[in-house]
Amino acid sequence: MNVELPLLAFVLGAALATAVLRDVLGAIIAFATYSLGIAVVWVVLQAPDVGLTEAAVGAGVTTVLFLLTIAKTVRPSGERVIERLDWPALGVSVLLVGVLLTTLGALPEIGSPDTAVLTSEVTTYYLENAYSEVEVKNAVTAVLAAYRGFDTLGEAVVVYSAGVGLLVVLGKEVFA
Amino acid sequence: MMDLLVSRDYYVATFLLLGIGTYVMIASRNLVKKVIGMNIFQTGIFLFFIAAAYVEGGNPPVLTMDAPHVSPLPHVLILTAIVVGVALTAVALGMVVRIYAEYGTLDEETLQEVRGSE
Amino acid sequence: MSESSPETIGEVRNYVESPIIMATVRIVSPFVFTFGLFIMFHGADSPGGGFQGGVIVATVMLMLGIAFGIDPLREWVGESALVAILSVGVAAFLAIGVGTVALGGGFLEYHVIETELGIYHATKYGIEAVELFIGVIVASTITGLFFAIDAGKNDGDSE
Repeated sequence: MNVELPLLAFVLGAALATAVLRDVLGAIIAFATYSLGIAVVWVVLQAPDVGLTEAAVGAGVTTVLFLLTIAKTVRPSGERVIERLDWPALGVSVLLVGVLLTTLGALPEIGSPDTAVLTSEVTTYYLENAYSEVEVKNAVTAVLAAYRGFDTLGEAVVVYSAGVGLLVVLGKEVFA
Repeated sequence: MMDLLVSRDYYVATFLLLGIGTYVMIASRNLVKKVIGMNIFQTGIFLFFIAAAYVEGGNPPVLTMDAPHVSPLPHVLILTAIVVGVALTAVALGMVVRIYAEYGTLDEETLQEVRGSE
Repeated sequence: MSESSPETIGEVRNYVESPIIMATVRIVSPFVFTFGLFIMFHGADSPGGGFQGGVIVATVMLMLGIAFGIDPLREWVGESALVAILSVGVAAFLAIGVGTVALGGGFLEYHVIETELGIYHATKYGIEAVELFIGVIVASTITGLFFAIDAGKNDGDSE
């Protein structure tokens, strides 16, 4: 029943492998594994919409883009499999994790029904009125395309500017 | 103590992912690996949001399913953030490819030397 | 692609022509495309939506690029067509949003379409239209980014 801990161990292990592998190709493959694991985490946390996006984006598109990049550039070669440990960087990240862990006691328990997110008026309003007001049964779509439609327009414009920016500015000779 | 860690396991995982992401971004000298580190950091934050939306025994926020539902709002925020994240990654990688075309290296320190000697 | 490969044989080519990959992509891509459209339109009542469907549609382009070579695919699509599709997507999304304001509602307040123009179930169709345009934006952007990253050649034809 309890899949959480092995799943999180798998995800963290894949992330660690990504961090320590010296070969960039190996790191990219470990990152694709990590993305797939995290997509399963989303499904376990009852977020199928996010899981679907992550599986398509993280394990699919992002991996292809990374692979394309190293195909176009270089892969550092060498006999070492594992990257040499960088002590200052390790200090910074351990410090960050330590500081964040001190806030752990203040966070609500995972899955408890009386957290601020679940009892907030926003959540209950969306769940109660999504079908009667917006006529869709998937509350995520209702929030995405109707209640927070302006936000979504902003996101779409961000994606648009990334595409046009890279095509027009960076890839001047793309279609020459 | 152990109880605290187990009952908030996703938050602990979030913090560790943020730590790993920071480490990769700082320690790695290869620009492509820095972008990977940024992606790991990003998913750590996504995990925080989705874990906050979760309710024990809840169903996905699809109204054909029985209550209780998990909160839909963090899902929407993260859904759009993932797609914006891939656009961000792609722009970063496009720049990495151009840097390589210009300087012939992706190593941070070599790049600084090349730029310093110009 | 196969005609042009002898001249470039000395250079480092990322494209390898493989009959297995080509045949697989030829069979699989229509199904993936249909699945992407299904996810896009089915977002109203089940998990799915414009963002997910758009990405899946974009993977069809990625598959075609990997199987048949990215350069011919890029020439076939063309930059102006891609940017035009992208701009149409954003403009259409904006038009729906501003259109509801013009009819006297709020931004993306779909039910004014129903009350003002008498289209039944306008809210649902409005949301599906918005999802479709989000899908168009996402799919064409990812395709464009894929082409742009690929364009940074290491065979020295830039500058």
